[in-house]
Amino acid sequence: MNPVTASRRHYEDLAIGEVIGLGATTVTKDMIVTFAREFDPFPFHLDEEAAKASLLGGLASSGWQTAALTLRMLGDRFLNTIASMGGLGFSDLKWKKPVMVGDSISGTATVAALRRSRHHPERGIVTIDLDVRNQRGEPVMTMRLANLIELRDPSVPLLDGENP
Amino acid sequence: MTRWFEDITIDEIFPLGTHEFTEAEIIRFGQLYDPQYFHVDPEAAKHSHFGGLVASGWHTVSVGHRRMVDALFAEEARLRGLGKEPGVSGPSPGVNRMEFKAPVRPGDRVTYTLVVTGKRASNSIPGLGLLFNTLEASNQNGELVYHAELVGFSKLRDYKMPLRLRMFLALTRLPVLGKVIAKRTG
Repeated sequence: MNPVTASRRHYEDLAIGEVIGLGATTVTKDMIVTFAREFDPFPFHLDEEAAKASLLGGLASSGWQTAALTLRMLGDRFLNTIASMGGLGFSDLKWKKPVMVGDSISGTATVAALRRSRHHPERGIVTIDLDVRNQRGEPVMTMRLANLIELRDPSVPLLDGENP
Repeated sequence: MTRWFEDITIDEIFPLGTHEFTEAEIIRFGQLYDPQYFHVDPEAAKHSHFGGLVASGWHTVSVGHRRMVDALFAEEARLRGLGKEPGVSGPSPGVNRMEFKAPVRPGDRVTYTLVVTGKRASNSIPGLGLLFNTLEASNQNGELVYHAELVGFSKLRDYKMPLRLRMFLALTRLPVLGKVIAKRTG
């Protein structure tokens, strides 16, 4: 038994359809510029004038920053409350609208699928649909994450359909 | 910055260089964005199936993005050096697929490579082209760290705006009335 995660929810405790509220994060100019300097130094993430002339129409966060801030909200409210074993990746990440200075992002994470690993009986895979919106309720980002999670009892045999 | 849509060659390989991940930066990124115990606490991480501290996948991906942006700036400088006018790329509409394949541990050196695998004109935004890029990261042992299928924008050099669109844009630049027109036509 992993002492770090023993008291957390495991694979067996999750159910498809569970919706997790992500709280809210307000994105400041300082946050945008600090992240962009390190990871995404396009002029439209660093400079107001360059941003106005770009497709974004004003200073906006890097899409990777929107994703990282969303991950932080997901960690605080979900991943750090379950026996997570790390991410496998994601698909269909769509940046639908720029996140501008002063915007507040929030949203939901929905447990979309659960299955057991074929090769590692102690592991399950939880699929999470993320829907991130701004303070006006407009979608800014959606994606589907796949994350590993420990089973409490790996000795339970795999049932038909548990690994579709 | 970088090349015009028309000048981008399919299957051309862009080496993006190598980044060494230190324990300090792995923990710093983890504390800010992904504070799971195996990304922030080297002692607790020993209990995980990783057996020690590993970088958040989002950290290795963010560094890969930085390497790509740096390569775009370098390509822009190269083109200007040849006396050519560079094109305009970015921002990105999304990522089709991202697979984290092998963990990144402190001291690992990760090498990033970008290949443009496809391109087409945008259906929704006139004057822009879509680029389909594969970005792969490998560690010093040649193991694949992640595989990404990214989508990017690049401006078309030879695009001529249709007269109707040019008239519409001119109208939206009018004071007061312009805002009303832009709002109504969204």
